[in-house]
Amino acid sequence: MDERDMMAIAESILFVSGEPVELKDLADLLGIDQRKAKKLMESMTDCFNFERRGLQIIALNGKYQLATRPEHSEHIEKFIGQERGQTLSQAALETLAIIAYKQPITKSEVDAIRGVKSDHTISVLINRGYICETGRKDSPGRPILYGTTDLFLRNFGLNSLKDLPPIDNNR
Amino acid sequence: MTYKVILEQFEGPLDLLLHLISKAKIQIEDISIAEITQQYLDVIEEMQQFDIEVASEFLVMAATLLHIKSCMLLPRQNIGADDEDVADSREDLIEKLLEYKKYKEASEQLQKREEYYSGIFTKLPEELFTSNEDVLANDITVCQLVDALTTLLRSKKHEEKKAPLVHEIRRDPVTIKERIKQLKKYFLYTESTSFSKLFEDDRTKEDIIITFLALLELLKENYIVVMQNKPFGDIAIKRRITDG
Repeated sequence: MDERDMMAIAESILFVSGEPVELKDLADLLGIDQRKAKKLMESMTDCFNFERRGLQIIALNGKYQLATRPEHSEHIEKFIGQERGQTLSQAALETLAIIAYKQPITKSEVDAIRGVKSDHTISVLINRGYICETGRKDSPGRPILYGTTDLFLRNFGLNSLKDLPPIDNNR
Repeated sequence: MTYKVILEQFEGPLDLLLHLISKAKIQIEDISIAEITQQYLDVIEEMQQFDIEVASEFLVMAATLLHIKSCMLLPRQNIGADDEDVADSREDLIEKLLEYKKYKEASEQLQKREEYYSGIFTKLPEELFTSNEDVLANDITVCQLVDALTTLLRSKKHEEKKAPLVHEIRRDPVTIKERIKQLKKYFLYTESTSFSKLFEDDRTKEDIIITFLALLELLKENYIVVMQNKPFGDIAIKRRITDG
């Protein structure tokens, strides 16, 4: 099996899965080690980009997914005959930013930074699938800890949390 | 009422303070508590004049500002703990504002990213992956309905056997037409029910059969939909939402 075959198989797996596929699963299926599989996926990504294909391979926390390109969204929406849902409110974005950069974080910690209650915005973000409960803090009352999801990464064009735009800490 | 539009966009007291600071074109570190407090209170007053409900958080901040200001105004008789407190609370406020500003700016960046990247579409997994969760079978074949009926009849038979040997004077069984009418009336008030529940009141075999036939008729008329969450599970019966 040469590299082209492996890429083709990986592509078909990504197509059938639809959802993000773990690198480990791809490596196991192709009978190669993960380091090699990662290289393969990277060159596949480049290949898709170079050929300016309508689909792209996106990496999310070490998982890979086949997706359309954002620059084509207008045409796709026209085809569906429906526009994207509402974008997030300012309050929700603020809350999301705090959770994204400081996760895992409790609701009261978010409240403290924003200076207002965040119950509503947190439930909006949970409903959107951008954040989820990640556990409980080891402090009195064992408050719920929140963190971001893979959907958050995807809809904000991030491969991992490391790709979050840097924020000024020294000002 | 232009004020309302302007005022409503503040996400909280910190947001309002940041707005005032940027309007005054000063650095957060250089804020004058006296000035900012005055401006802040002006805005709150305007809010109240226009009958906007001022969230308690805004009032807490107003109180904090006033506290810091009043402490600063008082003659410093005993240079000591109190003085430090005032400096601390001013520092605290500045720190909070800086921290909040950081995330506010980050949220603006995120907003741009979402606008662009949420235009990415992916597809659902192929259907050959049947998950272990609820298998939603929207179209149940008549055979499955018959199976369910057989199970029901069997259990009723069991009940009949157990019943004491008393002769029962039976009423004339209702006709299918009547039962359809009854069921339609029933579904007017109940949006959904389950297969077994529907037969709870049916005592005799004839009753069960008539209800079942009426159910099939309603299904044919598209008046109801049936759903089964898992094989051999109870069948849910729902009234189809009509335009009327």
